[in-house]
Amino acid sequence: MIGCYDFCGHYEWTFQWLHELGGHELVRRYWDEAIHLDSQQHASALITSKGFAGMDEYWGHTLGEEGGVWEVTQREDAFRIDMHHCPSKGFLIRNDLKQYPDYCDHCLGWIGPLMKKAGFVVNHEHNHCGQCWWEIKRTDDPAPASAPGALSGEADVRLHDDWKTAETHLDTYERATDPDDKLPAPAGAH
Amino acid sequence: MPATDSPLPYTDTKPVGAADFYAAVNATFRFIEKQSGIAGLRRYWTELGTKYYAPVTRRWREGGLPAVADHWRAFFAAEPEADVEVTHDASEVVVAVRTCPAIRYLREHGREIVPCFCQHCHFVSAAMGAGAGIDVRISGGNGTCTQRFAKAGCFPEPQRLEDIATAS
Repeated sequence: MIGCYDFCGHYEWTFQWLHELGGHELVRRYWDEAIHLDSQQHASALITSKGFAGMDEYWGHTLGEEGGVWEVTQREDAFRIDMHHCPSKGFLIRNDLKQYPDYCDHCLGWIGPLMKKAGFVVNHEHNHCGQCWWEIKRTDDPAPASAPGALSGEADVRLHDDWKTAETHLDTYERATDPDDKLPAPAGAH
Repeated sequence: MPATDSPLPYTDTKPVGAADFYAAVNATFRFIEKQSGIAGLRRYWTELGTKYYAPVTRRWREGGLPAVADHWRAFFAAEPEADVEVTHDASEVVVAVRTCPAIRYLREHGREIVPCFCQHCHFVSAAMGAGAGIDVRISGGNGTCTQRFAKAGCFPEPQRLEDIATAS
């Protein structure tokens, strides 16, 4: 049987299997069709109907069940997650599993299309070490993401020592709804 | 690094997995079958068993049937709300699945289950066992099944896919 205890391991393995079968476009379709529209249909229903409150309800349940360490900051104009220990990426790191070049892209892969449908955009960074932040705003709100600490205070993962080290490199998204909206790496970044 | 004292090749910090992931497993099967047909889905299951679960094959090859039994006991202990009994003697390991945790979850959450869902247990386990000299035979399914493991060549008949129930 394929279990859920090691789901993140075979999920990541599946990305590479699909990539070898049909390239990047097939992986994108998988994240959208299988994860966004099928597996995570409950997330889609909550967020499209309740907006920020639906995000709080969805991630409060799912991250609690998965066992992450995170902080949510909810304001009238923004929903923010500071992920201090991602349970999903953490599983891969602990078990030394890496088949697909950037596992973390799968989150934008299914959340991006969902947010576009629901009328939101995503500001996001991940450091490939199990830390990331998400700041979700309404599509018609032109305000950029908050400065470090301005919205979530000490919970802001960008202020923590392990956010950016010699070993980490950041992937950044601004007002994104697509996994390919990743900004080019700054010159000199590795 | 993976814990070395667990019968499982990959370990987590929480004792039981998140059941919501069964919906993703089911959706993945549906996507691949739609994309590549049943033959493509079976190829996915076989390659998953051969490659991703290669550490399981190594443990079964080194530990024989006792390692098979240890694996399934630990595996189902980490699956939420599984009701499974694992027994073994010198010739066979029997995994009696009284409540399949995946089928239970998918039904309780009103998900449309891929009809061939239960076949994955055969194809994945057969692939894991092939490199270890272990065969598997499965009967039943759709929430309750019996999975038997024995040394290669010990079962008189090949697996009949019609012995594995359609899931709903």
